Amino acid sequence: MLKTIIAKEFLNNILNLRFMIGLVLCLLVTVACIMILAHDYRQEIKDYHARMNIQDETLDNYAVANKYRLIRMLRPQKPPERFRPLIIGIPGNEDLGFFDYNPLPVLFPPLDFLFIVTIIMSLLAMLFSYDAIAGERQSGTLRLVISNSISRTKVLFGKFIGGSASLLIPFILALLVGVLYVSVNPAIQWDSSAWAELALLTAASITFITLFYLLGLMVSTFSRYSAVSILNCLFLWVLLILVIPNVCPYISAQLYRIPSIKETERRDREIERHSIEVAREYMKESVKEFKLKYGGLFSEFESMEFGGIGGWFVLGRDAGPEHQKAAQQRENADPEFKAMVDAFREEVEKARDELMRIRRANPVWDDLHRKAVVQTKLAKNLACISPFANFVYVARDLTGTGLRSLEYFEQTKDEYKGQFGSYVDKKIDDAREKNPALEEESLLDVSDRPRFVFKEEALKDKLTEVLPYWGILILFNVVFFVSAFAGFMRYDVR
Amino acid sequence: MLKSIIRKEILSNLLSYKFSIITILSTILILVSIFVMYRDYCLALENHDILRKESSRGVEVIPPTPLGIFAKGLDENLCRSWELQGVGVEISSEGQKSLNNLFKLFTVPDLLYVIKVILSLCAMLFTFDIICGEKETGTLRQTISNNVKRPILIIGKWIGGFISFILPFFMAVLLGTIFVTLSPMVDMNAQDWAKLGLFLLISVIYLAAFFSLGLLISCLTHRSSTSLVISLFVWAIFVFLIPNLGNILARQFVEIPTVQQLELKRGQIMNRARFELKRIPKTQPDFEKRLKALEFRTIKEGDQLDEDYRNRINSLVKVSQSITGFSPAPAFTLLATDIMGTGVAEERRLKKAAQDYKDFCVHLYYIDESVDEESELPDFHYQRSSVKEILGQGGLSNCLILILFNILFFTGAYVAFLRYDVR
Repeated sequence: MLKTIIAKEFLNNILNLRFMIGLVLCLLVTVACIMILAHDYRQEIKDYHARMNIQDETLDNYAVANKYRLIRMLRPQKPPERFRPLIIGIPGNEDLGFFDYNPLPVLFPPLDFLFIVTIIMSLLAMLFSYDAIAGERQSGTLRLVISNSISRTKVLFGKFIGGSASLLIPFILALLVGVLYVSVNPAIQWDSSAWAELALLTAASITFITLFYLLGLMVSTFSRYSAVSILNCLFLWVLLILVIPNVCPYISAQLYRIPSIKETERRDREIERHSIEVAREYMKESVKEFKLKYGGLFSEFESMEFGGIGGWFVLGRDAGPEHQKAAQQRENADPEFKAMVDAFREEVEKARDELMRIRRANPVWDDLHRKAVVQTKLAKNLACISPFANFVYVARDLTGTGLRSLEYFEQTKDEYKGQFGSYVDKKIDDAREKNPALEEESLLDVSDRPRFVFKEEALKDKLTEVLPYWGILILFNVVFFVSAFAGFMRYDVR
Repeated sequence: MLKSIIRKEILSNLLSYKFSIITILSTILILVSIFVMYRDYCLALENHDILRKESSRGVEVIPPTPLGIFAKGLDENLCRSWELQGVGVEISSEGQKSLNNLFKLFTVPDLLYVIKVILSLCAMLFTFDIICGEKETGTLRQTISNNVKRPILIIGKWIGGFISFILPFFMAVLLGTIFVTLSPMVDMNAQDWAKLGLFLLISVIYLAAFFSLGLLISCLTHRSSTSLVISLFVWAIFVFLIPNLGNILARQFVEIPTVQQLELKRGQIMNRARFELKRIPKTQPDFEKRLKALEFRTIKEGDQLDEDYRNRINSLVKVSQSITGFSPAPAFTLLATDIMGTGVAEERRLKKAAQDYKDFCVHLYYIDESVDEESELPDFHYQRSSVKEILGQGGLSNCLILILFNILFFTGAYVAFLRYDVR
């Protein structure tokens, strides 16, 4: 009997207008989207190679024997994500740091596979299920079905399986066409891990689509009329897809305020200034004590601008070279003077230690980053009430097009910069050995430098990250099915 | 008779479940959106005050507009502080971005978004069964059998339906606006009020287009379930598909390098200049002159690069506008953000002002040689566009597109209803 219900539901759906519209729309949008994005991907690859060439040319021709400048010249480039023909990655932080940029994606978020699943398929899923129960009650067929010897559980299961199967046909067909295009396109080279990621992405998409089918089914079991059911479905759809995910980051920003980076910079500078003031105050006291203790000898040392020892703390500037020389000579000639200078040196060290202690204890940056992590986590957890947000996390992190991928890139970039820094140190030392007169502005040959190669994060690590969100999606499925079940058990079929 | 039809339509809508649910949804959304964006504006204002205080000479920053509460658009990017560099214009501090990366994943929930996406859907839900639903219940046949002309009936239905749809919207916006204006943080001048008024007018025109579209679909179908399915898909195509696909499709016609490539090219110009500078002996009597000439040439090379990039972006926007002209949503987005001073036109204007200011300073320093120090340079002043300027900058054409869609959809609905089989 279950088979009969599944077959009936399946046939009923595929002969419906909404199936045809869904199929045509899915096929058209997916194919158009993948074709355009694949072309875009080729352009991105071209741009990436152009960037690499410029970077190489700059380092080959203008590298100088100055580590700081060399590291500034170094801009490790991120290649386009391999899933770019399907999903458009989010821009990194550095993209926001340019005066010139393309404003269109800010106003019109680009269309990709995520859009097809989250908007088109979720809407289609609700359109397939909103009248599954209420519609049949209105037409009187539900009463006839129930009057036979069939349990309500089987009817509900049958409707779920048959409806989901018919709903997934447009999606799977469109995806297959897209995959075919990707596999025959010579510009797109996917390895086995990319195909595995695609398989997982498809599975996650199916979880998301069935979730909305079940939501529609649940609403239908609680409605007497299909007109009411569709309105309730759309109300929930708007809330879950269009409202909650977009409002959550703003709500979290209000619930948990963090200072801006600019404000933190200002507080950081204040602490820096305070540390200098403390060190100066300490030195002022020390100078007074030295004056009392050493009298004329110290006045002589003072007239030499303290020989440049801690001059910055005491004078607020560096001592002139002639004073430094004079103090040095005097120190060599007079042991008493030397003992005083040594004692003064110790005081300067103490002042410097105090300064460093205050700076090290400076909590503002750690505080900011800790708070930012808490705020982002809060926003992420708040948005988890919406299946849309959970699916976006799963799909983006799985395919390396999300926030995690940006963090991973930053991490590999920093590692590479460290590696490059050691290479530059060695290179400058070698060059200085060969040519002791080497200046910071002298050209340096860095043609044998280590090259930056971005490798995708391991699939295992990605899966560990996305599994909790995928779990929430499954949980939503279970909750909606159980609710639909409870609703249908008490449903008045008359 | 027209009055009776309008009255009947309003009353039947007011008593419907659809009206209750749509009114509740739109009111909550509009109020939440205005409140959330108001708090966001307060944060932006605080950030601007810090930036202003911290800014050294030569660093420019414009304040956020209170109209960003209603349509944020590109305001976050417009209000970053920037400074002129030898090559290009540079964002002066890394510290202007948000640390909460989750903002990048989701859309800004401002009033513009609520109107563009959610209220347009509500408009179609209001009308999907306005004709075919009445046909199903049999009331349309009865009405037509009386002495009622079809044109009067459809006009009455449109007016009555639209009034009942738009009234809750106005009430919610009014409440939100009162809340915003009572706040001491928001200082709106007459120009801002005019812009807000214009924005609301454009919103009404935009929603009317979707209302007429729903009416058209209802007149073309005979069952409300069919009308609903078609309405939803047409809505998805107009609101999401055409604007978003058009944007990436335009990129296929206009090749634009990434900003990273642009930055690398700028760096290359600077490095080359540094390299050339080393070749000029400092002991030469004309060192200063040659240095200035090198600096001038480097600046011009950088400007050329920027100009080329901006021209490409302008072409991209034009191509994108042409492609997306098949839907009212992109025209509405562009027009609304331009009116509120947070759109592409404003951004282009700010960039042009920055470039003009740079050219002026370069002229004073290198050609006139009338200034020697940075402190002698004049200050940069910027005023956002007035309503008149906005309409002149292409706003009128977007406005015409919206009106055209209204005429097209309503005429379509009118013609379809004249030929509609009411049995």
